[in-house]
Amino acid sequence: MKRRIDDRMANLIRLEDVTIGYENKGILGPINLAIENGQFWGILGQNGGGKSTLLKTLLGLLPTVSGNVKSADGIVFGYVPQSEKFDPIFPVSVGEIVSMGRYVRVRPGKKLTVSDMDQITRSLEKTGILHLKDRTFRSLSGGEKQRSLLARAIAGEPDVLVLDEPTASVDVKGEVQIMELVQKIRSDDGLTVLMVSHFLNTITKYADRIILIDKDSGYFEAGGKSEILTDHNLSKFFGIGTGSVII
Amino acid sequence: MGILSEFINSYFLWRDPMIVGAVSGAVCGFLGVYVVLRRIIFVSAALTQISSFGVALSFYLEGFSMGAMSSFIHPFILSTVLTSLAAVFFAMKRDFSRISQEGVIGFGFLIASGAVIILGDRITKGAHDIANILFGSAVVVDPKDVYIIPAVALAAVVIHIIFFKDFVFVSFDEETARLFKYPVRTLNTAILVTIAVVVAVATRALGALPVFSFLALPPLTSLFLTERLKLVFALSVIIGALSATLGYFFSFVLSIPTGASMAVSASVFFILGLLWREVKVRL
Repeated sequence: MKRRIDDRMANLIRLEDVTIGYENKGILGPINLAIENGQFWGILGQNGGGKSTLLKTLLGLLPTVSGNVKSADGIVFGYVPQSEKFDPIFPVSVGEIVSMGRYVRVRPGKKLTVSDMDQITRSLEKTGILHLKDRTFRSLSGGEKQRSLLARAIAGEPDVLVLDEPTASVDVKGEVQIMELVQKIRSDDGLTVLMVSHFLNTITKYADRIILIDKDSGYFEAGGKSEILTDHNLSKFFGIGTGSVII
Repeated sequence: MGILSEFINSYFLWRDPMIVGAVSGAVCGFLGVYVVLRRIIFVSAALTQISSFGVALSFYLEGFSMGAMSSFIHPFILSTVLTSLAAVFFAMKRDFSRISQEGVIGFGFLIASGAVIILGDRITKGAHDIANILFGSAVVVDPKDVYIIPAVALAAVVIHIIFFKDFVFVSFDEETARLFKYPVRTLNTAILVTIAVVVAVATRALGALPVFSFLALPPLTSLFLTERLKLVFALSVIIGALSATLGYFFSFVLSIPTGASMAVSASVFFILGLLWREVKVRL
């Protein structure tokens, strides 16, 4: 298992000898990793391989079993969870969902201001869903749901955009549209991106740095795309060669 | 016309219980939206039973000389304290010795239900008192309830208006709320404690059955009628108040048990809502 710490730039998030897991039971580690400003990290692995556990640990949603996660002061995350996780019993509109993304800058008990509402409208416009703002979230297609969650994520003007399987519930056309939108937002706003996916080609096409993770074999590899996508790694991890991957 | 005029002429008999019932129905309807959306209907069942246990326990303890503790064993105080403690426990403890939260709530419901019946057997006031706690009487209410219940309801609604966006946020997407460093545990506890206090005062006045039905049925009915969240809250308040009012009216004119009549009224709204939804889907 290789671990790297890159000290060239100020780190937004840093994992120091971290063992990830649940309820004090480690599933993988120790991991050392530095996420730097402006990078696009793809976290790649099979279902149940520990991707989401790593992501939640990076975000501070799960405590580490051992080691430290250090985040830059005042760092703001924009989070796009999997749309299936939301209970369809909630009759919330797209506008209401996108507003929730702004709550990262509006503390409990405080109301959204006019400038907050302007930012919410800009987020809806940027993701091309202003016309859907009064529709209920549960009535949307998979692609529309992802756009709504993306609008919610950028409504808080984040430093880091975090995407958990953003293309899992959309078709190929929808996948391309969502990923192109993510690229545009990243480039316009200068965001750092962390994206979890089990789609190898999606990650390799858009990310510039990759994490390969598999808790069952204790495998963790992180680094630049050309370093990670070697024949050896692809063969070991996916049973394929570099010729099968769009880079 | 005869029945209606007799009812109107007897307003001095039904005015107070009608106010207490309507306010309880309205505020339970409002808070019940969280109960239904968070899929914790069993929590409200457990809280109403624990509240009943508090009332039954205070009746039971009245038979003993408690000295300085006697004010603490007032049904209102004991029921409110026990129900609030249970709400805090349910909010804080997501798992307990590998038993799910649902299992712990089930345990709370069953032990409280059993204890109410056992205590009922020992209460000197008589069996009908314990039946009233469980199924509701509300034929007459304590004059103080006309002030206590609206005051508690107003306090709960003010808290819910101030923190409306936050309560909806943690109910809908707790994970993102935690990522945003929201005080998720405090907000979840606040939702359950406001429900618990309202349940405690309303159960003592009306009984467990109508209170549980006001927490569950008006929000479910409203979800059949609209796709707008704020309108769900508004309709639930109206249906809760109407269920209590009509329930009391039919109880009065047909001489049927009040709590059961209120629960059936709420159920009729639920059935009408379900029919409306089915017709709308087919058109």
